[in-house]
Amino acid sequence: MKRLVFALAALLSPALAHAANDVALTSAVFVEKTVLANGQQKIVLEEPSLVVPGDKLVFVLNYRNRGATPATDFVVTNPMPGAVAFQSSPDQAAVVSIDGGRSWGTLSSLKVKESDGTVRGARPEDVTHVRWTFAKAIPAGQGGKLSFRGVVR
Amino acid sequence: MQHISGVGARIIAGAALGLASPAIAGGTTAGTRIDNQATASYDGPGGTVTVPSNTVSLTVDELLDVTVVSADPGDVQAIPGSADRVLTFTVTNTGNGDEAFGLASAGTLGGDDFDPAVTAIVLDSNGNGAYDAGVDTVYVAGGNDPLLAPDASVTVFLLSTIPGGAGDGHRGRAQLSAEASTGSGAPGASFAGQGQGGGNAIVGATGADADASGFYAVSAATVGFVKSATVADPFGGTSAVPGSVITYSLVATVSGTGTLGNLAIADAIPAGSSYRPGTLTLQGAALTDAADGDAGELASGAIAVRLGNVAGGQVRTVTFQVQVD
Repeated sequence: MKRLVFALAALLSPALAHAANDVALTSAVFVEKTVLANGQQKIVLEEPSLVVPGDKLVFVLNYRNRGATPATDFVVTNPMPGAVAFQSSPDQAAVVSIDGGRSWGTLSSLKVKESDGTVRGARPEDVTHVRWTFAKAIPAGQGGKLSFRGVVR
Repeated sequence: MQHISGVGARIIAGAALGLASPAIAGGTTAGTRIDNQATASYDGPGGTVTVPSNTVSLTVDELLDVTVVSADPGDVQAIPGSADRVLTFTVTNTGNGDEAFGLASAGTLGGDDFDPAVTAIVLDSNGNGAYDAGVDTVYVAGGNDPLLAPDASVTVFLLSTIPGGAGDGHRGRAQLSAEASTGSGAPGASFAGQGQGGGNAIVGATGADADASGFYAVSAATVGFVKSATVADPFGGTSAVPGSVITYSLVATVSGTGTLGNLAIADAIPAGSSYRPGTLTLQGAALTDAADGDAGELASGAIAVRLGNVAGGQVRTVTFQVQVD
């Protein structure tokens, strides 16, 4: 329904084709539940009706270039909600920050300096931001999906 | 079809950032909102454009969890027939919301030798971890259910009367249970709209209902008392004739696992005889005849010796002599 409205808006407002918001980014969240189906455990994604600490969440970001020209240097940044600990992103090249977005890298490349001076490898729960940097432009009319997993602290 | 490049830089962070939500055992506090919004930026025809996504919001629901553990280091010693014997428990809210807990006790249980009669559940209202009669508040179901913040604990006492017939060395079990007042049941059961902060409440892994047991161990003691006499007559024999000296030996043997308090021995000087001054002994050591600082004396024609507290397995021997008139 929402997509239909966007499409109509694009059709009805050709003058806005070059306007700022011709890439759409939508955010969704699902809860990962293990259900028993036909005697077998199955992992399903559900709309979050109940969320408690320890629940696994999957955040999904859909992007689409609704404009007429390619979008270059496309970067998507998602700050972690405070009550969610980052787990992983299936997108191998996603980078993360553990210092509020000042510096970025793969999780294994980041180090945390503890208050007592010792240095340890960053852990998923240290992540404050997730970022995807696209090497290639998004052609007009193209889109895709990004996702990452977290667990409710 | 994604075109993503990673940034391979190695970075030493200055310090780990503090967590936005407090790290408590029960997890994020119920009612906390999880808002997620991403931002995209790209270069379009008109320059760099920044686009926010919609914000998706979740509210963390309340997890109902509780633990009860015995806080006694071991069996609580008690003597048969005694009242207000105290078992100590700790009730902890291991959920993530403020929750009141209903308490219940049971004394008629299996796995023991006798049934303690639980007479009261008492809340440690002054928080010192020890039962203070008349100070700590007696629990009334539904009246003063302890309200605990996430991770908070309350010390709870069970007061019991030990049956008079409980034998030495026997153990009696009593149990305290605590149940979330919002509800309990199978893990995963939910109570719509009843969670802290307006969300739902969900039964956690503990079933929101927990119990623990403590034991009373009866330590009784009994005393066996044996009196014997040896006679020495003036002629080297053992006849009781005027002038004979009779040595009385009073042996108190305490048995059992308990202790007898303020055990005392008294024995009248037999008619027709006279106490021989200075002959009173306890465990072979002389006691003066006067009522003074030591444990015994001669008073009103009888010897009296105070043995104090004597534990099971110990023996006390008192001797004194009389002369036949």
